[in-house]
This record gives sequence, C-alpha cells and structure tokens, in this order.
Amino acid sequence: MAKTFFIKTNFDLCTGCSLCQLACSQRLLGGYNPHRALLRITHKAENLYHFPTVCNQCENAYCANVCPAKAISRDPETRALVVDRDKCIGCNMCRKYCPIEMVGVDPDLKKSVKCDLCGGDPACVAACPTGALELAYRVVPDEEEEEPNG
Amino acid sequence: MADSYMGKFLLVDLTNETSRTVPTPQWLKDQFVGGKGFGAKLLYDLVPKGVDALSPENVLMFFPGPLTATAAPSMRACAVTKSPLTGTYLDSFFGGRLGPEIKYAGYDGIIIFGKAPKPVYLWINDDQVEIRPAGTIWGTNALEANALIKEEINEPDAMLAAIGQAGENQALFALICCEYNRQAGRGGAGAVMGSKNLKAVAIKGSRLVKVHDPEAFDKACKGACEEIALSAECATYTDGGTSSAVPWSNEIGTLPYKNYYTQSDPQADKIGDEGQKKHLFLGKAACFGCPIRCSQMGAVRTGKYSHFITDIVEYESAALLGSNLDIHDPRAVAHLTKLCDEYGLDSMSAGGVIGFAFEAAERGVIQAPDGVVLAFGNVQGAEYLIKSMAFQEDDLGRLLSQGVKRASAVLGKQTMDYAMHVKGLECPAWGPRGTPGMGLAYMTADRGGCHQRGFMIGYDMGDEYNGEPVEMYQTKGRAGILIELQNFLAGTDALVKCDFSQCGVSPESFAAMLSAATGRQVDEDYFDLLGERIWNQTRMFNVREGFLAKDDTLPRRFVKQVLPDGPHKGHRVSEADMDYMRRDYYNIRGWDEEGRPENVTLQRLGLDKAPVFKERP
Repeated sequence: MAKTFFIKTNFDLCTGCSLCQLACSQRLLGGYNPHRALLRITHKAENLYHFPTVCNQCENAYCANVCPAKAISRDPETRALVVDRDKCIGCNMCRKYCPIEMVGVDPDLKKSVKCDLCGGDPACVAACPTGALELAYRVVPDEEEEEPNG
Repeated sequence: MADSYMGKFLLVDLTNETSRTVPTPQWLKDQFVGGKGFGAKLLYDLVPKGVDALSPENVLMFFPGPLTATAAPSMRACAVTKSPLTGTYLDSFFGGRLGPEIKYAGYDGIIIFGKAPKPVYLWINDDQVEIRPAGTIWGTNALEANALIKEEINEPDAMLAAIGQAGENQALFALICCEYNRQAGRGGAGAVMGSKNLKAVAIKGSRLVKVHDPEAFDKACKGACEEIALSAECATYTDGGTSSAVPWSNEIGTLPYKNYYTQSDPQADKIGDEGQKKHLFLGKAACFGCPIRCSQMGAVRTGKYSHFITDIVEYESAALLGSNLDIHDPRAVAHLTKLCDEYGLDSMSAGGVIGFAFEAAERGVIQAPDGVVLAFGNVQGAEYLIKSMAFQEDDLGRLLSQGVKRASAVLGKQTMDYAMHVKGLECPAWGPRGTPGMGLAYMTADRGGCHQRGFMIGYDMGDEYNGEPVEMYQTKGRAGILIELQNFLAGTDALVKCDFSQCGVSPESFAAMLSAATGRQVDEDYFDLLGERIWNQTRMFNVREGFLAKDDTLPRRFVKQVLPDGPHKGHRVSEADMDYMRRDYYNIRGWDEEGRPENVTLQRLGLDKAPVFKERP
C-alpha cells in the first residue's frame, strides 16, 4: 500500500481571495500574479461561487503518459507528479492532454510547470484562510500502482 | 533592484484614439507613494482651474498602490477625477480584483484624457492597448456590458471597470462598476467616464509583481494577517460585513430616518445583520488577497423581487435606501441597491436624493407623475426615481439626477432646509447631531460629505483617545483628533489600504510591508506626514476651484433643527459649534481663516517646490 498526497478542494469554503495563487506564484516565479499560479479559481455568478481547481496528482496521469521526454515522474515521498526541468523540452503536450489544464509551459521559464505539492508542505494550503484547500492522501493498493510511461 | 512598482503609467488619448507609456517619476513615488497620493498630485497638475468636469479637459485616472497585487492583505485601488457632482477633487476606492490587474498588465496607473468621437471601450492586455467601438454594448447596464465585453474579447478572466446607463447619460452621481459588487461609487466618476464616451476598461495582465526583499515582505504580510485574525473588529466584518452597523448606529442615535428628520428608526433591526442573514446571505466572498471576506454573497429567493443574486447590502446602502426612506424589507432594499448597481448610480447619493424627493413630494413641492407614489415607505416610488434618474426619462428624473444641491436650487429656497449634502455630495448615513466630530469630518472631507476620511463616531460617543476619554457633545479637541485620523487614512490610502483591514493592521505592519516591498525604509509615523502632504495637496486643488470656509459647512437640517427624539434628543451642530471647530481645524492644519494652506505649511510639506507632472499623451 502506498499513499498519494493531493490537495483536496472545498469549494463551499472558497472565498475567491487568491491568497493561495499569490503564495504559489511567488514560490514558483519569485513574483506575484494569480494567472501564473499552478492552481486556478473560477469565479461564477457575480462571485456567488468560487471553484478552486488544483492538480489531482492522478493515478493515471495523462500529462506523464503523453510526455515524449519522460520528464514527469512521481516524487518518492509524496507520489506527487513532478516535472524534471532538465528533461522537459517545452513541447506543451502535457497541457494539451491534461483534462483540467493544471500543467503547461510557463512563458518565462520555457519549461513545463505543475504542482509538486511544494515537496509535501504546500504553500497554497498554508496561505488559505478558510480551509478551502487541505492536504489529503488516498491509499493506492500496490497492484494498482503503475509507473507513468510504463 | 526589484521594487513593487511596475515603472510606468499608461496615458490614453481618447480624442485621437492613441496611447503611450511614460516612466513613473521617481520624485512622485518618493513624495506621493501611489493611490490617493498619485491622484492628488496628478489631478492638480493635469486639470487646470475651472475645467468643466464633464468636458474632454478633465482626466479620469485609475491608481493601484505599491502594495496592491502583492500578498499584502486587503489592498485596493482608486479612481481619481474632478467630480462633476461637487466640482472638488474626487477619489473613489474599490476592492475586488480590478486594481491588481492594472499592475499585472504592467502599469502603476492609467490616465485617460479627451473624449472619444463615438462610444468605445478600452482593452488593455499587457502592452497591447486597443480602443474598440462599443457598438451595441452602449445602452446596456453595467453587468450586461461586463458579460458582452468579456465575450467579445474572449477573455473570461479579464477585469472590467464599466458604467451603466446612468454613466452614459451623465447622471452626476453615476458610479464605475468594478466587478463584481465593487464600485467606485461616490462623486460621479461614472459620469466623467460617460462624458468621455468610454463604456468600459477591460484589463488583463501576465506580468509578475516583485518585491524588494521577499523574505522580509513575507514576514511582514504574515504579521499583518495575524493582526487581522486577532482583531475583534475585523471578525465583525467577517461575520456580517457592515450590516451589523445598522442596529448599532440606531442604538447610538446616528441612523438617518426619513431624510434625516430623526436619527433613530424603530424598525432598523429588520434591515441589519439579523434581517439580512435571514433573507439574503448564503456564503462569503473576498476581495483579492483579503482574509477578512466581508462580502456576504446571497440571493433574494422569496417575495416579489425574487430571484436575483446580491452581495450584502452594506450599512450605507441599507441605511440610505432603507431607514432613510422608511423601507424595512431587506429584500426590497437589496432590490433597490441592485438597481443602482446595474444602472450605475451611487446607492448612497441615490438614497439621499430619493429621501429629499419623498420629503419634497410630501410637502407638495414636487408632483409625482401619474400612477407613481412619492412617499416614505414606498418601494415603487423609489424604484421609479432610480430608473428615471438613470435613463433621464422625464424632467423629474433629469432634475434629481443632478443631486440634491442642484435640485434644491431649482425647486426653491425652502427645500434647502432638507437638502442633505456637503459641497454637493449627499451625506453618509451617520447623522451628526449628537456627534459633532463626525460633523466636522463631513465639513472638511476633501470630496464633500464623506465618512471615510476620518470616522469620528466612536470618539464622539466617548471612546478613549490617546488614553483619555473623549467627552460627548463637546467641540473642543475634535479637530485635533480628526486631523490625526485624516492624515493617517490619507497616508495609507496611498498604499491603497482597505478601510476594514485597517482596523486590524497596525501602522508598524503597513510600514514593514511598504519597506520590504519598495526598499525605501519607513517607520510607523511615515503615513502621518505623507497623509498630511496628500491632504494639503487635495486642499490646494479645492481652494484653486474656489472652495473656502463658506463651503466647509453642514446641511441646514443638522444646524437648525434639533433632534426631535432618540438618544441625542435636543442636539444639533450649531453655527457656533461649526465656527469653533472650523477655526480650530484650520489653525491646527496651518491654514488661514479661509482654509487656504499657509506658505509655511506648504514649505514644511515640500509642496511649495514640488515638481510638476508635464506628460501628456
């Protein structure tokens, strides 16, 4: 048995404040811009609802499956899918096939970027004032474990 | 070295449909910081004396501040222009996500000159600036325009400042809707936008906002967030926004009832937090980067006005479109507020104007059109007036859309007894008979009758100031307290702070965040001097426009009519009270007997030899 960590979203608690995105963009790029963060908030119905979307750290990860450079693999500790920037060739195939557009090439870095759970202590979860984001894990039976690109 | 400024202003010339950028001057950053500071200085430099606020010679400017768009909690932006309603300097602050987007697109401010030959909207996508024909979007309400423009530019994440029909028709208290439920509300910035044939500004940006010292900045922001988390006042805003101020204001005898005839309303609780929680609220929403989440989003689901989405009905709207009009169904008050938001009218001025019209109608001074009842308690009458003012449908709507000052001048001298404005700006919902310090705040606010430049109610009710209890009903000492508040608030409005987070965040934290963001080391006293400089700069604008001691006054009802009931029964702010407080205020400010800043004051603040901003598009 293994544990895959991921960020669970509670849209009912999300206020759309974007503090998560500010923390994320600062950590990733050394500057603030929510459009450049690795998680998205969709504001609906004149701000009556806010839907945070984060990387699912999929068990069957299309981003890793389609990567021609085999640049996306699992972190041994958290089982988060992380991009090896040395291997990434910036083709953006991962974005094309991610169903929730949570991965893709950053215009400045020219490399694919995605949520790596900050190594296990996500900055977005720490920044969220309401508990709309929380760190969770799912238990993955050994037999179902498949290596990406396997 | 990185700092949290973006380094340039965008200058737009609507007349010739061109734009260009200019560097943000270093002297301007050093002396005026951002937000209100930039606005105060640039309005003075860009708009010569006597310019008609609705002419192409007026400018419309949008300024974030050096902390806007960063992780500093609860930062906002402002619209600055010459007010068509008052003729004074005008700034109007808005939260939400529009302000940060200006910086993400790469700008410390957007300055709009001239007038487009035909209706247009502006689409700013980083460096790409397009002036596009508004076409059939002209004529739509603010929310419809928002949706149509996002569709046309195919950018659901763009942020919009838009006007409704009221702005297009230049109703003098038209607002700018800074989506959603956030408005540059007071003083008629929306009419200025309409006069320029500018329906909206859409903006989206991909730039990073960087700070000078990320580690120190992160620490300072965390400290500020912690202060907010520990603040009882901020917790009140989290729980119910400003709606709980309705029963409180009623209890302390400051809530306007029936066009301020009295300051207590027996049914106030129905439209306060209790009533709104029951009938409106569903969940909380936050402005960008704000942990307080004062927005209580909800919907009207029952009754004759269902169904529509509504934000909290803020204290000012609840009081002025509710108690002041003797309307006590929170769903009806939400309905009237939403109409104002959609058509693009300031709900505060609208409440003041409708209150005035109801009283004038009850006294037989104005005639209600056939089928319309203009009387306190009548929701349909209020709805009729909002529509007729926004759409300029009839003579009455056209007259009232000019505000109570102009309407009263046309309707005759006797109506001045109940025309509730200062310098033409309709009064906020804190009746000052019994709280003279608040009266002085209205008298001296730079944009006319405004409660946000120095909120004196607590001190007027006996709170301690600098460890000493403040004596109720006294005029002595009020000016000194007010000046300290005005200076600090004007200084932090350069950041641009939120009035609510400011209740929790300490001056030390504001200073720590600004120092780490910009690399300019400042201490907690910095904002007092900065604010004093800004306050004198806006006063220089108003003095140049002819505003002097005679204009720093209160509406006649507050001065002549003692309160007939309530906690402050028998009180008023008399001529003698005003005279004493005004003299005291000018004296401490270093202004002459007419309210003109003395040379020595300007010298002390560095305003006598400040450079002049000469850039034009």
